[in-house]
Amino acid sequence: MSTLNFSNINKYYGNTPAVVDFNLSIQEGEFVSFLGPSGCGKTTTLRMVAGFEQPTSGSLKINDAEILTLPANKRNVGMVFQSYALFPNMTVADNIGFGLKVAKKSKKEIDMKVDQTLNLIRMPELRDRYPSQLSGGQQQRVALARALAIEPKVLLLDEPLSALDAKIRVELRAEIRRIQQQLNITTIYVTHDQEEALSLSDRIVVMDNSHIEQVGTPAQIYNDPASKFVAEFIGHINLLPVTVTNSESGEVSIHGNTVKVKNARNFENRPTMLAVRPEELNPGTVVGANNLTGIVESVTYLGSIIRIRLDIGGEGVSIDLFNDRKFISPQIGQSYDFNFPVEASWLI
Amino acid sequence: MKKKSANFWSYFWGFSALLYFTLPLYGTLDFSLRMKKGEISLMAYQVVLSDPKFLESFRYSIVMGLITVTISILLFVPTVYWTYLKVPKFRPILEVISILPFIIPTIVFVFGLIRTFSRPPLLMTLTPLKTDVLMVAGYIVLTMPYMFRSIDVGMKSIDVKTLTEAAQSLGANWIQVLLEIIFPGVKLAIISGALISFALVIGELILGDFLVRPALGAYMVLVGRSRAYEPAALSIMSYAITWLVLGFFLIVSNGGKTKTYWVGKG
Repeated sequence: MSTLNFSNINKYYGNTPAVVDFNLSIQEGEFVSFLGPSGCGKTTTLRMVAGFEQPTSGSLKINDAEILTLPANKRNVGMVFQSYALFPNMTVADNIGFGLKVAKKSKKEIDMKVDQTLNLIRMPELRDRYPSQLSGGQQQRVALARALAIEPKVLLLDEPLSALDAKIRVELRAEIRRIQQQLNITTIYVTHDQEEALSLSDRIVVMDNSHIEQVGTPAQIYNDPASKFVAEFIGHINLLPVTVTNSESGEVSIHGNTVKVKNARNFENRPTMLAVRPEELNPGTVVGANNLTGIVESVTYLGSIIRIRLDIGGEGVSIDLFNDRKFISPQIGQSYDFNFPVEASWLI
Repeated sequence: MKKKSANFWSYFWGFSALLYFTLPLYGTLDFSLRMKKGEISLMAYQVVLSDPKFLESFRYSIVMGLITVTISILLFVPTVYWTYLKVPKFRPILEVISILPFIIPTIVFVFGLIRTFSRPPLLMTLTPLKTDVLMVAGYIVLTMPYMFRSIDVGMKSIDVKTLTEAAQSLGANWIQVLLEIIFPGVKLAIISGALISFALVIGELILGDFLVRPALGAYMVLVGRSRAYEPAALSIMSYAITWLVLGFFLIVSNGGKTKTYWVGKG
């Protein structure tokens, strides 16, 4: 098992930056997700670890040994691709055993490892099938097994679930996490799906525009986003323009109403937004909480959640309530009181 | 009613096409069997097969074809692969180069070869061996459109870049990637390109004729000028060889297929 260290990694295509000033340390057995929109640099960073891209500058170490000087086939880094990339001319067993064959392991050793890995992915019966005879989910399991068979120092997964159906995606991501924890293998997972990143990761690296925006646990990223981008990118968020009226006590003004936030310092005399998650807003008024009133614009049924959209002085606010059979839907245009705790809101 | 009429016309055109292709063949076959006056015989075939010049030219062209195809595969598979992998922007240039043999008439190309390589410093026509080297080079150029395009289509059908990266991440070097992943992946494309190129070399006339080498194409023309029944027998034999080659191709391509159970996203 291995630690991985990125130091001042930069990657430019001509003058166009792809990854800028990337610094990160990944611990042994840690599952880290690179999360961000398309073109943010997450896949480029992953490909630099695999050896398919060379950084313009910086250092990349596995267990304190520089790997940037090594070609891709000497890095002992397992990679799982979005398009599975199984070798179509080989059976499942041959695909899984390919890396071992290349490493000139004995046939007995290869057979043993293939069986062991097939059991790990719970597919021993598909040993002699060809990739074209497998479903997408099965193919990706085989691709995972193939990457794990060589016992890599680091496992890289490049959006491995994005070509799969929603149901299989959820099943397979639980499978990936189970296997990763069972083997305690250091893993980097690239995705643009926040749900995947939140559910799988020990830590998430949120990237935008070639830069790291924030590194943290899923709870830190969700509950304390470091920037407006992170707040908007992860989950739903209400952003309301406010004016800081008393930075000491944390008081801000929203269309003449005063509410309290946890971090008003350093936000005086500049355009500021109050951020609060829709699920933190509750119907009614509560003494000691922030209380506001809006006009109901719409009520949307989302299965387990009911989303009420309100208008506060021209600004839209969403409230997410758990679907309750006793829930009485407010009428469009009616006045609606709601509240939220001081610690659930912050300025950005 | 409409469906019945459509059926009639489809059968009509199908049957007409069949006649169009088979009647000349039947006529040639019939003619080739009438060398002995008043009876059906294989005499024309016997004459052709017992002619040492035929056997010599047949053997020569087979050897030339095999050498051409082997060198073409070794030349074009890595070239096309590298273009897909490293310099995809050069693909259009390569495509234009590959169709040049269609644009430049063969006779012009052969004259160019003779003018360039029949004088120092690149004198290649002095000995039979050197001329054969020149012949193979010429055949490679003439068959390039077929070989290049077949391999190109094959490469297009597999995800060259990702498969290469997958193999590399598993520890494979370039030669292992090429031999164990790419070659098997484009095997059928290589076979089809090779067969077309081989058939082309077997029947090619101008290079053999102008470089004065005993190629089968040149022999067939020579026989056609001086005899009546033997060229017909030769044509039927070349048809038979073509069909045999196609049959071989079908067997090989079916051999590579596997039974598909079901494929889906799930």
